[in-house]
Amino acid sequence: MNPATDIALEARHLTVLAAGRIVLRDVCLTMHRHEVFGIIGPSGAGKSTLLRALNRLLDLNADYRVHGDVLLAGKTIYASDTDVDDLRAHIGMVFQQPVVFPVSIFRNVIFGVRHQHSVRRSEWPEIVERSLREAALWHEVKDRLHASALKLSLGQQQRLCVARTLAMNPEIILMDEPTSALDAASTRAIEELVLTLKATRSIVLVTHNLAQARRVVDTLACIAVNDGVGEIAASGCCSSILTSVKEEEVRIAADNLIARPLKASIAAS
Amino acid sequence: MRKAMQYAFFGAAALCALVAFAVLVLIIGALLFRGLPAVNWSFLTEHIALVGAAGGVFYNLVGTVILVFTSLVVCIPVALGLALLCACYWRDNKWHGRSLVILQLLNGVPSILFGIFGFIVFVKWLGWGKSWAVGGILLGLLILPTVTVTLIDRIKAVPQKYIDAANGLGLRKSQIIWSVIVPQSLTGLVTGALLGMARAAGETAPIMYTATIFAGATFPAGLRDSPVLSLPYHIFILAQDSFDPGAMEKLWGAALVLVVLVLVLSSLTLPLRMRIRNTHQSQ
Repeated sequence: MNPATDIALEARHLTVLAAGRIVLRDVCLTMHRHEVFGIIGPSGAGKSTLLRALNRLLDLNADYRVHGDVLLAGKTIYASDTDVDDLRAHIGMVFQQPVVFPVSIFRNVIFGVRHQHSVRRSEWPEIVERSLREAALWHEVKDRLHASALKLSLGQQQRLCVARTLAMNPEIILMDEPTSALDAASTRAIEELVLTLKATRSIVLVTHNLAQARRVVDTLACIAVNDGVGEIAASGCCSSILTSVKEEEVRIAADNLIARPLKASIAAS
Repeated sequence: MRKAMQYAFFGAAALCALVAFAVLVLIIGALLFRGLPAVNWSFLTEHIALVGAAGGVFYNLVGTVILVFTSLVVCIPVALGLALLCACYWRDNKWHGRSLVILQLLNGVPSILFGIFGFIVFVKWLGWGKSWAVGGILLGLLILPTVTVTLIDRIKAVPQKYIDAANGLGLRKSQIIWSVIVPQSLTGLVTGALLGMARAAGETAPIMYTATIFAGATFPAGLRDSPVLSLPYHIFILAQDSFDPGAMEKLWGAALVLVVLVLVLSSLTLPLRMRIRNTHQSQ
């Protein structure tokens, strides 16, 4: 396999400042095609900020400044002539809390697509079915596509958000702790979905759940907080990083304290 | 001591509420007591007669409805544009605060000045003469600050998560405004329009020189030189000029009709408000 075309997204010396203060320092990451790239770390370490720097969603908040570069398929996304809206259509995003719009399930799925002039109106039903099938939601909602999406359970709402992103046919999907608001069954459904989706797309998954990282992540990057600044503490193959972490630390990880013991165990190994 | 303060404070607040409530009850009571005997089917369907001492207020009702609707037709698009400009495009710059100040100033302009302005500009300078269109435009300007500010507040209250999600899908700013912000702010538009409508229906000063006459008008025939009758002006003339005791009863009747008209027009928006609430409820 050609390593150059195998790279989906690359962060090069990415530094993020919020209101003049550094929140993320010198992040270098390489995300390959058809893999689940995990980002793990304690709350407030800047995981979500890093994710939002990858599709320039940070641009919308005037407080944030981004230095360094992000390459999508080898091309910078921080060029002055980048069409940011077009970029965000190619890099889909799923948020922590499911955000469904107060319209029907059908309308939710085509929420982004219907603004794309290249897609004809007659193609909408086909896109809706394809996206909902891909998001493993089709069989649950196919009889009530025109019912309000707010009537769905939280887990279904989150899969609907995935379907809405998939409808745009993105190459990369960024997921910001997509299961943190969900129960165990819905979490399993989303995790299985992630594992199926990586056959066709690349996924960046932010999580603070070590067990989840074990289950779905291929390559893992750990963010640690150093003097109030988030930095990459370790990155590499998920299993090799996580085999050095003991059960006790997994329990602590659930309490959001993952970075310290992880760093210690990596240093020890 | 602290308990006593609490009781005193509650007492004062309750007294204020009572005063406001009592005034409302008195006004509504007087309207019903003195106006109800005058109101019957023929009062609502007949033409004015005997300089207001006999007949009904049909064309006054028609005129006021025309003026109110024209004012909303004028006001709503302008208010929507202005509110979107302020709340979406100027959110982080100095023009946001400035336009709010300008709107407050406009809200503080005495309504008679709108009447004089309209008389000079539309009736004389543009040569439209007395016309319902001039009155509608002036009333629309008069209620513009109320509708706009209500709408701005509602737009600012649209949850950021929707805007983030739409941005995450790669929607452009104009697309986000039309498919996320405007639908979510419709309640604000309806509330603002109701507040404005109630005010527009009752105003006399802006329309007395520009749009309305006391007698002799029916449905408007065109845009220019086409005055209408109206309820507030009818009440004003009867209260000021009439010595006929028969006219006094008609005056109270007209006032009651005006209040009920605002109530009816407000309740017309009820199905719309219910629908908006239902679609947003289960969040």
